[in-house]
Amino acid sequence: MARVSVTKPSTFQQYKTLLGKDLRQEFRTREMLTSMGIYAFLVIIVYGAALALTARNLDIMRMGGGLLWVLIVFTSLLGLARSFAHEKEQGCMEGILMVPLDRSVVFLAKTTANFLFMLVVEVIAVPLFYFFFMSAEQVAPSFVWIVVPLLVGTLGMAGIGTMLSTITMNTRAKDVMLAVLFIPFIYPLLYACVTATTTAIMGTEFWIDFFVMPLVLACGYDVVMLLVCWVLYDFVVSA
Amino acid sequence: MVNKGKKVVKVPEAGQWPDKVTLPALIAGTVLTTAGFLMAFFYAAPVNGAALDAPELVGDVMVTHQQLLSQKIFYFHMPVAIVSFVALVFAAYYAIRFLTTREQRFDTCSRIAMEISLLFVVFTMITGDLWTRFEWGVWWTWEPRLTTYLILMLIVIAYFVLRNAVDDPERRAVYSSVVSIIALVDVPICFMITRLIPSSIHPVVAREGGMSPDMAATVVVVMIGMMLVAFGLYRLRFRQARLQERMDALKEQLED
Amino acid sequence: MSAVEAKHLSKVFGTRKAVDDVSFELPEGSFLSIFGPNGAGKTTLLRVLSTLARPTSGEALVAGVDVREEPDEAREHIGFISHQSMLYPDLTAEENLLLYARLYGVEDPEARVTELLDAVGLAHRKLDLVRTFSRGMTQRVSIARALVHDPDVVFLDEPYSGLDPHAVEIFDELIESVRGDRTFVMVSHDLAKGFAMCTHALVLARGRIVAFAPKAELDYDEFAGLYRDTVGMGVA
Repeated sequence: MARVSVTKPSTFQQYKTLLGKDLRQEFRTREMLTSMGIYAFLVIIVYGAALALTARNLDIMRMGGGLLWVLIVFTSLLGLARSFAHEKEQGCMEGILMVPLDRSVVFLAKTTANFLFMLVVEVIAVPLFYFFFMSAEQVAPSFVWIVVPLLVGTLGMAGIGTMLSTITMNTRAKDVMLAVLFIPFIYPLLYACVTATTTAIMGTEFWIDFFVMPLVLACGYDVVMLLVCWVLYDFVVSA
Repeated sequence: MVNKGKKVVKVPEAGQWPDKVTLPALIAGTVLTTAGFLMAFFYAAPVNGAALDAPELVGDVMVTHQQLLSQKIFYFHMPVAIVSFVALVFAAYYAIRFLTTREQRFDTCSRIAMEISLLFVVFTMITGDLWTRFEWGVWWTWEPRLTTYLILMLIVIAYFVLRNAVDDPERRAVYSSVVSIIALVDVPICFMITRLIPSSIHPVVAREGGMSPDMAATVVVVMIGMMLVAFGLYRLRFRQARLQERMDALKEQLED
Repeated sequence: MSAVEAKHLSKVFGTRKAVDDVSFELPEGSFLSIFGPNGAGKTTLLRVLSTLARPTSGEALVAGVDVREEPDEAREHIGFISHQSMLYPDLTAEENLLLYARLYGVEDPEARVTELLDAVGLAHRKLDLVRTFSRGMTQRVSIARALVHDPDVVFLDEPYSGLDPHAVEIFDELIESVRGDRTFVMVSHDLAKGFAMCTHALVLARGRIVAFAPKAELDYDEFAGLYRDTVGMGVA
């Protein structure tokens, strides 16, 4: 065989290649999307039963934001737990690690993939949630603004979730372990996003205090956590 | 380090100088904490010099003597909470040392600092909860400080669950180091977020107009006492862990 | 220049010494077989040499590059075939190879992948998912994967596990055909097989080298005896 010439590709190209691999794989099997989608739908059904007696006189607008985020957190948890299954199964992670590339590229590509999958599920789940619980109510005109906390929250959850599922892929009882780490670490983000989402749904007058402020804090959380994970990822993935 | 069959194996060291001050530190800590306990009841006056025999007006709020007495918990609650956070800072510091040097010793340090943190976080939760019960009349409320400490407690517990779930010692050390560093970053954010987002549901903590000198003195005494106790416990535990490691090393050496 | 060189290489954590003061030098184009009982540190040694794990002390050079100081540089010269395929089951053979070719930055990845699939005799199945392949075929693709960037040194970690005798035969033929002037380092349980393939043999027990010699200097029966003693009694 003739000698092969190799020129190290740019970091961005490697990022695109890795992300492309995840997307191609997912769109072929639709494994994560189907399981997350079905799970989200089931949670909505369970809500239906749980709220059956109270739905008529319950202030669903006030609770909607919280319920929506419960749905998102648990659905994401399910997806994140699966996100490294393929990497682990055939030792692919080691194959990737033996390529000369910066470890943080692996983190960024995986975070992007998880972020996109979670968004796709939200695009289906949020209208469903609206259809089942809120279509009978008078929704505030500010409702569309829930997109912002959804984006900010999902980004942070994808970042910290990717980091934590890299850790838990090598532990016993992976799924439980991921939940045990994931929930306390995203708690601040969740708190901020629920507040902002509820405000958007209700359209209250304290817009700065209850919408802008939580979002600024949530963005701060995203930036700090993504940076910390980005720096520490090398240690985790090489261990 | 093999020299033709005879080898010099490095054995984990134990018994450095801090071990000599461990016992005095523990004793001093206990004495100071006890002194602080007595001071809290006999020296530090109730808030704003209120008397105990009847309900008093403190900062426009009527408070009962029960509330005034329950305020004494504060003298232990705050120092314990601060010590638990200091322990967390040490855990993260040793975690960074571990990640840069890869010496098992620092992992042990980090783990034990976490254990101390857990102990004090649990104390914080207990004292805090007692106070909440008397002051606000509820066992639990999602108040920023309570929430933050609940989350901190969950993270510290998760840390130990994680340690148990990883078999390879080096991998376990790396993972737990990373988690303790993220924890140190996460906890202040958690505090800030729960604090800065206003909420009509949460009772607002009444500001009772700073600490008087006698109160401050009591807090300082208890604080120093608790720090010394924490340090003493840390060293004792560290010494025990090191001796264990040392014994394992010697056993292995004998097997060869 | 030696292809692989280890100088007082150690991988220690706490009191556990996975690799303990290992030194050897391997000339270019040779085939080293590493033998040893379970837990002897063979896999750890391979992981250190292939930049997957950092040594605690000592130095390791692969193709003249220090794996600790310049891991990325070293990775360009390293290929790895393991008992795990390192292939994504839900991608086709071609997509898998293209993925790695692009990550390594191989020039004209499509041509290179076609060439490799021809070489391992799987050109007709290149559009099939790896999931549908037999163990033997998967292992052939994984040879192609390891060679995609034309490495100078190829590590093999128990490559035969799970292969039937026929697949083992094909595997050996393939390795022989792609060998060229490459250096191979193989970890194996199978003494007879590993001994037949190698030009150098190394026995490891408790992380230490018990024996290291070119095959020319070794007699198989004597070597097997030594190996049995090592496995049977722990370190000599």
